[in-house]
Amino acid sequence: MEITSKIDGDLSVLLLGGRIDAASSASLDHAVNAAIGGGIRHLVLDMSQVGYVSSAGLRSILLAAKNAKAAGGGVAVFGLQASVAEVFNVSGFGKIIPIAADDAEARRKLVG
Amino acid sequence: MKHLTLADEIVVLMLEDDSGQVHPACTPVATTAIAGGILMELALQGRIDTDLTSLFIIDKTPVGDALLDETLIEIAAEPTQQSSAWWIDTLATRHGDLIDRVLARLVTAGILREEERKFLWVFSRRAYPQVSGREEREAKGRIMSVLFNDEVPNPRDTLLLGLAKTAGILSTILSEEEVEKSAARVDEVVALEEIGRSVGLVARQVREAVTAIMMTPYP
Repeated sequence: MEITSKIDGDLSVLLLGGRIDAASSASLDHAVNAAIGGGIRHLVLDMSQVGYVSSAGLRSILLAAKNAKAAGGGVAVFGLQASVAEVFNVSGFGKIIPIAADDAEARRKLVG
Repeated sequence: MKHLTLADEIVVLMLEDDSGQVHPACTPVATTAIAGGILMELALQGRIDTDLTSLFIIDKTPVGDALLDETLIEIAAEPTQQSSAWWIDTLATRHGDLIDRVLARLVTAGILREEERKFLWVFSRRAYPQVSGREEREAKGRIMSVLFNDEVPNPRDTLLLGLAKTAGILSTILSEEEVEKSAARVDEVVALEEIGRSVGLVARQVREAVTAIMMTPYP
């Protein structure tokens, strides 16, 4: 999985590319931990380039939300492709992690 | 035993404190819950992964636990990729002795004792009282913590809650008022994990089948 980040104060937008599954979730964990360790509190996950998320991938995203919340912030996602949106809907992830239409809405959901 | 697996924990939680037997409400789905616990543990230990349609192996390396490793071999030997619900049902059906195996390993680990107890003054049956009860208290504490604070739950506790709901033991841990108050949170958390949803589905099917059999009149 490719991960690039754009930092804006204590918010970072992570552009994720490819699959989020058991093989790639460690990369996501590392990127999130590095961001939070570097003072980031709010994480926006741009999922527009993600075509597949497995249960291990979801666990990684949930862990990101847990750690961001512990740091006084949170995680929001946007750009879900249809198949990924279905996974989020079935698992009710939207109740834990805000799902936004775009970057701007994701930021609003996190920081108001 | 290095640490209790989810399969171990759900068996400890399903045992009645007084009788040392599996709670009657859990009996129909005990094997299903244990099968789910085994798969959940393999997922947490990075050996399997799932999605909405399939369960698949990602690492065949043994974890060093006989029960988990035998299951991993069984999954690897299946030529067709199957769903997690299929695996839960299949493991529970193929291995009717799952509860005995987990009880035996908990006795070996010193968490349970095995006793012969009389019932109806004449008949003997085995009971499995807990040695200290510490493991049960710890598991119950984690479940209560998931339910009654608004933290994002960690994956292990999320899965444990799914097993507890499947086994029907939440009403033994919580008061009636707490059951009602936490119902929405239970559903929200359990739904987060695919294997948790699957074990609930299979258990519902088992309970429906048992009910159907009991309702069938004798000829």
